[in-house]
Amino acid sequence: MFYLRLFATYVRVGILGELEYRANFWINMVQSALDLSVALGGLAVVFSHTDTLGGWRPEELLALIGVYFLIGGLIRTIIRPSMTQFMEHVRQGTLDFTLTKPADSQVLVSIQRIEIWRLVDVLIALPVLATALVRLGARLGLVETVVFAVTLLCGGLIIYSFWLMLSTCAFWFVRVENIQVIFMSMWQAGRWPVSIYPAWLRSVLTFLVPVAFATTVPATAVSGRITTSTLIGTIALAAAMLLVSRWFWRVGIRFYSGASA
Amino acid sequence: MEHDSVIHIDKLSKVYTVNEREAGLVAAMRSLVKRKTRAVQAVDSISFSVNEGEIVGFLGPNGAGKTTTLKMLSGLLHPTGGSATVLGFRPWERNRDYLRRMTLVMGQRNQLLWDIPVIDTFELNRAVYRIPEPQFRLAVDELTDLLDLEPLLQKPTRNLSLGERMKCEIAAALLHRPSVLFLDEPTIGLDVTMQRRIRQFITEYNMRTGATVLLTSHYMADVEALCKRVIVIHHGKSLYDGELSGLADRFAPFKTVEVELHNGARGQPLTQYGELMAHSEGRVTLRIPKAETASVTGRILAELDVSDLTVQDPPIEDVIEHVFSQSPDPLDQQDPQRPSGE
Repeated sequence: MFYLRLFATYVRVGILGELEYRANFWINMVQSALDLSVALGGLAVVFSHTDTLGGWRPEELLALIGVYFLIGGLIRTIIRPSMTQFMEHVRQGTLDFTLTKPADSQVLVSIQRIEIWRLVDVLIALPVLATALVRLGARLGLVETVVFAVTLLCGGLIIYSFWLMLSTCAFWFVRVENIQVIFMSMWQAGRWPVSIYPAWLRSVLTFLVPVAFATTVPATAVSGRITTSTLIGTIALAAAMLLVSRWFWRVGIRFYSGASA
Repeated sequence: MEHDSVIHIDKLSKVYTVNEREAGLVAAMRSLVKRKTRAVQAVDSISFSVNEGEIVGFLGPNGAGKTTTLKMLSGLLHPTGGSATVLGFRPWERNRDYLRRMTLVMGQRNQLLWDIPVIDTFELNRAVYRIPEPQFRLAVDELTDLLDLEPLLQKPTRNLSLGERMKCEIAAALLHRPSVLFLDEPTIGLDVTMQRRIRQFITEYNMRTGATVLLTSHYMADVEALCKRVIVIHHGKSLYDGELSGLADRFAPFKTVEVELHNGARGQPLTQYGELMAHSEGRVTLRIPKAETASVTGRILAELDVSDLTVQDPPIEDVIEHVFSQSPDPLDQQDPQRPSGE
């Protein structure tokens, strides 16, 4: 409850801060629109040649693009700016102010900066998802909705935990911004279902950089094709990564304050 | 346990393991994988206690270990040895109840968010410290009043001058009414007026709330105005802990003698009495070894046509400089650079 209220305060302050830079809204708008056009254009090109892609029908891929924008928007709104800020704090030594606050440092770090205009991606994602669902003619019953929500949540948590672990490396290496850039380019691959990629890349996108769980899995869920084992595996992975990333964060903090010495 | 001591530290030590960076691309590449490290003794077995409501100045040249000590006391660093309690807590356990009652201000670093108005950073701190709304209003009003923040609150931090920013930094750090303040060079880089302003504020806050303050500063004016008691550290060791006024007695091996002469100083063989420090028509300042003060002033009075003579302790700045320019004691040279293991 306390952390929810804290989060709300950060969101409010984020909005106030970003209102100062209204141009950002339009820039993000244009950027998101372009991204979406490219994604949809790509779909159109592919399906002018074939009816299915790696077993995926056009509507299903549309749903995937919706998920891709939805999660991507959340990454760009909260995770990326907060983690970038965190690394900046480590570099400048201002992380000290976070650590002297009477609240969980991981939470503070994870929500400290919110780029509210990036929510445009999420706004764009919603009609795309809706269209896909209508085209699929999917009867999105209660069970499907819950399963979809769960996979989305798990996907988000997996990406968050992964990113937190990457960022935590800043305690040792100080400058790890480049890892973020690598992640964002891997993320781009999540625009397509992982099943279309060669086996090695599929394993990379599933196990090394868990993009698949944040895009492909929720998209299979929304089109009603997810298997129970995938669902359970996704939930288990999300829980495990959340725990491991938290543990790693603690190790990082302990290293930062020199407990190991 | 002493009951009236708020801060109590005993043989506190900190050894840093620092990365050694060699020049050259190849070495830099190698350091990506495996880093060379060495140990640096930043704080070496320091002990002291601070009572409730005291303002204690922490003096030392750059790299003496002041900031490291403050960081250990504010829970940011684990010590390598010794113990410390503040308000009955072990700082580095970062107990929330402890963190809510202390604050850390660093003159060189900002906690205010760059792009948003100052009042919004205050708002974030209110949320983090869970300060009830009425209490928060009261604190903001009081601090606004004491520090003249009224015209600043709505401005984004980036539009503030250095002095304005520092005032807001201090206010942001005090919204939760901490009872222990660690101030690391709170006046650094500020102009004289602003320094005085901040000093007055610290005194005022100390009187109003009875808070305990441990502060470091390079400006002797800060220390003289605020601290009756100082702790001098050098090369991680405590050299002196006591009244500011006792510092000269203890460390200055000389006194300053100011002599006014009736028929001018010209042509007088003054250097035979002591080291000539300043010299203007008819007025001379000499530095004389402490032990010889009495005999030399006797000779001056007897041999010269003196109209006025005063004996003083040298300015505190000179004393400090003198202390720090001396080589560290032999104990301290026990190879602090010994290489550590992996």
